Amino acid sequence: MRKILLAAAGLALGGAALIGLLASGALERSVVSRAVETPLGADQIQALAPRGAAVAAAADCYACHTARGGAPWAGGMPFETPFGTIHATNISPSPEGIGGWSRAEFHRALRDGIAPGGRHLYPAMPYTAYRGMTEGDVDALYAYLITREKMPVANRPNGLAFPFDQRWTLSAWNLLHLPAAVAVPDPTRSDLWNRGRYVAEALGHCGECHTPRNLMQGLRGEAALTGAVIEGLEAPDITPAGLARMGFAPASLARFMGTGLSAQGGATHQMFEVVHYSTRHMARADLAAMAAYLFDRDAPGPEMDPAVPAAAPAPTPLAAAVSGRARASYDGLCAGCHGAQGEGIPHVSVALRTNAGLRTASPASVVRAVLAGLPAQTFPGGERMEAMPGFAADLDDAALADLTNWMRTEWGGQASTLSPQDMAAIRAAITPRHAARD
Amino acid sequence: MTTPIQDQALSLTVNGVPVGPMPVPRGTSMQEFLHEWLGLTGARMGCGQGICNACTVMVEEDGKVPREMRTCITGAHWFEGRRVRTVEGHAREEADGSLTLSPVQTAFVEAFAFQCGYCTPGFVTAATVLIQRLKAAPVPRDAVEAVVTEALDHHICRCTGYVRYHTAVRDLVLATPGLVTA
Ligand code: FES
Ligand code: FES
Repeated sequence: MRKILLAAAGLALGGAALIGLLASGALERSVVSRAVETPLGADQIQALAPRGAAVAAAADCYACHTARGGAPWAGGMPFETPFGTIHATNISPSPEGIGGWSRAEFHRALRDGIAPGGRHLYPAMPYTAYRGMTEGDVDALYAYLITREKMPVANRPNGLAFPFDQRWTLSAWNLLHLPAAVAVPDPTRSDLWNRGRYVAEALGHCGECHTPRNLMQGLRGEAALTGAVIEGLEAPDITPAGLARMGFAPASLARFMGTGLSAQGGATHQMFEVVHYSTRHMARADLAAMAAYLFDRDAPGPEMDPAVPAAAPAPTPLAAAVSGRARASYDGLCAGCHGAQGEGIPHVSVALRTNAGLRTASPASVVRAVLAGLPAQTFPGGERMEAMPGFAADLDDAALADLTNWMRTEWGGQASTLSPQDMAAIRAAITPRHAARD
Repeated sequence: MTTPIQDQALSLTVNGVPVGPMPVPRGTSMQEFLHEWLGLTGARMGCGQGICNACTVMVEEDGKVPREMRTCITGAHWFEGRRVRTVEGHAREEADGSLTLSPVQTAFVEAFAFQCGYCTPGFVTAATVLIQRLKAAPVPRDAVEAVVTEALDHHICRCTGYVRYHTAVRDLVLATPGLVTA
C-alpha cells in the first residue's frame, strides 16, 4: 500500500514537473538564428517588400488573414476545428496586428509558432510548414507586411473549450508535431525538384489540407499528401499516383494551379480560394517546380502540352437500368450546359468527361456541386465559369445516386456503387454557407 | 461529336392542355420544344446558359407551391408527365373570347414595369410563384421587401426595370389579403 501511495505521489510530482517544463517552454527548440536579432533598416525593408509580396502569395497568407468582406490583413476569418472555432488574427502593422513586432519576434512566430510574450500560436496557423522557410523569405515577408496599411481592427476571440483554450498545452503538441530540424536541399535531386519541395512544403503548405491528420490534429507524416477530408469534402490524394488518377500530368497540373482551369475541370470550393489568392499569383517557374516535385520528377517530364487531357479511363460496367435512369436525369438537367457527351462549354461550364472530380476516391465535391450549385467564378486572363444552379429539389437521393454512379463509371472510369444513403449523408452536411461561397 | 438523332415520345400538360405523346429528338431543350413544336415563344431565349432567367416557366404539382424552371438548360423530356405553365397561360380567357390579365401581369402594366418586355415572361413567372408561395406561407409585413428581392433577384432585365418590377410586386403582395401576417 505504501509503495502504491509513493508511486502515485511520484507520478503526480513527475506530471507536475512535466507540466511545469512544458509551460516554461524549455522543451521547445527554436530554428530562428541569432542573426535576426538585428533589426532591418528602413532601406532594407523598402528593398525587400516587393519580394515579400511574392512570398505572401506563395504562402497564401491573405486567404486566411482577411475575412471575406473584411479589411485586408486584419484577420477575423473563422476556422472550425474539432476543438472549437479559431479566428485568424490581424497581421497588418497596427497595434492590434504585428505593428509592435520586431524582426526576431516575427521570425519566431512564423517558424517556431510562438508570438511575442511567449504566446503559443494554434497550429491552424501552419507554422509547422513555415518552419522550413528560409530566413531571407521570412525577412521579405516581414518587410512586406510591415509596410501595408495599418488596420485598426480588434482580434476576434476564439471559441475553444477547455483544455484547448490553454495555450501552454501547445508546447506538448509542438514536442510531438513540430520538426526539430528543417529540411535541407537534397543533393541527389535536381534544383527543380528541390525548389518544388520548398514551394509545396514550406511556402504552399499543401499538406495542411491534403495530408490526413491524427487525433491530435497533427499531420500524419507516413501518409503525406494522400488526401484528407476538410469540411465534408475531399482534399484529394496528390501523390504522383493520386494526381495521375485524376488525369493530371506535370504540365497540366502547373497550368491548373496557375489558372484554376484545365481539362481536369475548374478549381472549386476551398481549392478555388487557393488558386484565387495564392497560386495564380505565383511565378511560372515555381508552379513548374511544384508540379515536378509533386510528381517526384527531377525534370519537367515529356507531356508538355497541357491542353491535351490525359486519356479517360475505360468506363467500368454499370447495370443498364441504372445508366438508363441516370442518362435521363443527365439529359434533362445537366446536358444543357455540360453537353450531351460531357464536353462542357468554353467560358460557361466545365467538361465532365475529363473531370478530375469524377475520378477522386470521394464523390462529395461533385455531389455537393450538384445539390448546392456553385457561384460564378472568375479566373485569370478574363476567363470565367458561370454560376451553376443547385438541383437539390430536382433530384431525390435515389436519382442522385444513379446519376453520380453513372458519371463516375462512364467518364471517371471508377467502379461506383454509391447508395441513396451515401447521398443523404452528403446532402445533410450542406449548409447555406456552401451555396453562398465565392 | 455527332450522335444520330433519336426520337423519344413526350407527353405533358402545357397551360392546362394535354400535349402528346409526340416524337421529339432526345436532347431537345424545353425552350426549343415550346418554340418549335408548340409555337409558344413566350419563354424567351436570353443567354441560353441558365443565367438570365428570361426563359423560365412554372412547373405545377397538386398540393405544392409551383416551381420555376429554366427552359434553356432543361431538357424537354425532363417535363414528361408534368404540368407546365408558360407566360401564355397566365391570362384568363373569358366566355366572350376576351382576355383578363393575371394580377401580376396587371401590376406590371400599371407600374410601367417593363420597357422592351423581353425579360417580362420570366418576371411574371417569378412573381406568380412568389404569390403562390406566400399564399401557402405568409410572411411578416417587414419581411416583404427582402422576400420580393430574393424572389426576383436571379432575373436579369437589360432595360433595368428592376425598381418598378420590385415596387409592383411588393405593392401587389401588400394589397392581396392573406399573403402577409400581422
Ligand atoms: S435563356 Fe434561360 S436563363 Fe437565360
Ligand atoms: S424590359 Fe427590356 S429587358 Fe427587361
